[in-house]
Amino acid sequence: MNYRSYFKAEWLSLLRRKQDTLNALLFFVMVITLFPLGVDPSADFLAPAAGGIIWCATALSVLMAVEGMYKEDYNDGSLEQWLVSGLSVTLLVFLKVLAQWLIVVVPLMIVLPILAQMLFLPMSVLGVVMLSILLGTPALFFIGSIGAALTVSLRRGAVLMLLLILPLYIPVIVFATGAIRAAQLEMAYSGQLAILAAISLVALALSPVMAAISIRASVN
Amino acid sequence: MKDLWIERGERDLCRHLTFSVQSGELVRIAGENGAGKSSLMKSILGWLHFAEGTLEFNGEDVTQHRDMLLQNQLYLGHTPGIKNVFTALENLKLYCPDAAEDDLEQALVQVQLGAFADTPAAQLSAGQKRRIALARLWLTDKALWFLDEPFTALDVKGVEALEKRMSEHLSVGGAIVITTHQPLLNLSPKVIELAA
Amino acid sequence: MNWTWFHKLGSPKWFYQWASNWGGRCVYLGLALLVIGIIWGLGFAPADYQQGNSFRIIYIHVPVAVLAQSCYLGMGIAGFVALVWQMKLAPVFIKSVAPVGAVMAFIALVSGAIWGKPTWGTWWVWDARLTSVLVLFLLYMGVIAIQNAIDDQVFADKAVAVVSLVGVINLPIIKYSVEWWNTLHQPATFKLTEKPSMPMEMWLPLLFSALGLYLFAAGLAMWRMQNEVLVRERKASWVKKEVLEHGV
Repeated sequence: MNYRSYFKAEWLSLLRRKQDTLNALLFFVMVITLFPLGVDPSADFLAPAAGGIIWCATALSVLMAVEGMYKEDYNDGSLEQWLVSGLSVTLLVFLKVLAQWLIVVVPLMIVLPILAQMLFLPMSVLGVVMLSILLGTPALFFIGSIGAALTVSLRRGAVLMLLLILPLYIPVIVFATGAIRAAQLEMAYSGQLAILAAISLVALALSPVMAAISIRASVN
Repeated sequence: MKDLWIERGERDLCRHLTFSVQSGELVRIAGENGAGKSSLMKSILGWLHFAEGTLEFNGEDVTQHRDMLLQNQLYLGHTPGIKNVFTALENLKLYCPDAAEDDLEQALVQVQLGAFADTPAAQLSAGQKRRIALARLWLTDKALWFLDEPFTALDVKGVEALEKRMSEHLSVGGAIVITTHQPLLNLSPKVIELAA
Repeated sequence: MNWTWFHKLGSPKWFYQWASNWGGRCVYLGLALLVIGIIWGLGFAPADYQQGNSFRIIYIHVPVAVLAQSCYLGMGIAGFVALVWQMKLAPVFIKSVAPVGAVMAFIALVSGAIWGKPTWGTWWVWDARLTSVLVLFLLYMGVIAIQNAIDDQVFADKAVAVVSLVGVINLPIIKYSVEWWNTLHQPATFKLTEKPSMPMEMWLPLLFSALGLYLFAAGLAMWRMQNEVLVRERKASWVKKEVLEHGV
């Protein structure tokens, strides 16, 4: 096993499991649908709230996608092979998260313009929303991978993982929706986006190390 | 090539255990269920911590940093690390990315999976999946093998083929550490007994 | 700098004996200071010219809120120590302190809500500091939850260390983000580095109750850690001796 062959295999396996990707996407659409139904379908409510709604749905569907990311590897013994491969587990985690991110975020970006229309989000703000998702979701994935690694060996790990990880998502959601709101009010939003990018970079640097420690602890 | 380890685990499983594995040697870790055979293997490979003791590889202390040991070994555990979404060939290719296509197929033939090269592993039985993992043994150049219960779910032919491959490996100076409940037919290992 | 104390902390036996000496003293001294501080604050300190008597809940709210944060910081540091130096006592510390911190965060939330009613007119406002204490409480519950979910002790120790450390790295970011998101709350009343903005006779009882609470919690943590050490080291000969000589 080497890093290249691993990434290729991981990517291929994600492509083969199209249904999982589709499920994450459907979940995203479902959560968004709940807001007009549950709160208020009028444009007066939806247009200003659209950024927040989109981001809550994003955070939840990322969590759903990330939660089981090591489950199969744990069950079929692949994680054991990671540990004895002589490769850096940290780097393997990084590659895996990268593949996961691509497979979830790219389809998300494609459906986003349609959903934005349904939420009466002004077209001028759509760019900022997409940018905020591009810059912010890496943090969600990387932080989430720690929780996934910690709970992979537990039988009822999913709820625990939500409890552990969701509080850590708060800054990303705050700054992302802040940027969107600023854009809606035609104010400067680059600061918030820069902070988002910074959070993602920090998460990218630290999370794989933490996830690798967690994987080592989980596999025994 | 010279392989030498000294290990003194002071865990609850084994106390003050010392042993070495030399080139060309087959070592069988024996013991009842729960005696800590797999755990011993895992702690040598560095993902279980041992409280005391040192581990040497080629005369160097690798207790803290297993990289050198890991790069020279091949480990097959209870769960073989075979992905259901891949075919037999693709699974093998993941672990042996540098091998030529012909060699990969040849290795599958060795474990009687020649006809299943393009079958998704999801459709294969437990024994067949294990054999995909075992096919790596025909492709590897790693000197040291750790085989944890490799005969589980294998049929008679599979056991024979594996033993043949093992003795080949030993004859070219490799070393094998194995745990198994089944008696080895044609090989005579050095036995390390773990008390339950 | 002399690092002997740090290395000694690696020895559970040494810690146990040390804590036997200091645990009780901390608890009782802390309790005494706390009682003095609270009685002084509730009964004798002057009323606030704006908030009247309702401000007196500060003598509970502020020490508890500050302690809740300090506990988490301590757990984060212990998490780092546990992961880097594999010190045996660090996970014990996290396990023992987490419930104490969670209770503190909870009291801070409740007392904040009670304080909010006369001051702002509602039990709850989504202001920055209430929200970040809520998040802190959730982080504590996360640590406790994963501690309880894992049976294997080695794994549980690693897991709580990772969760605490990740939480501590995130805590300032969360605080900053929440503050940036909304600032309605009055600025911090208690800063050691600055000259207090409140009059001395209001501030001193606060210092007393804060110090008392810290000592009390430290002593409590030592007691809890002692228990945990006894359980974990139950096979060691010094524990057998200890139990035989002093009972449990």
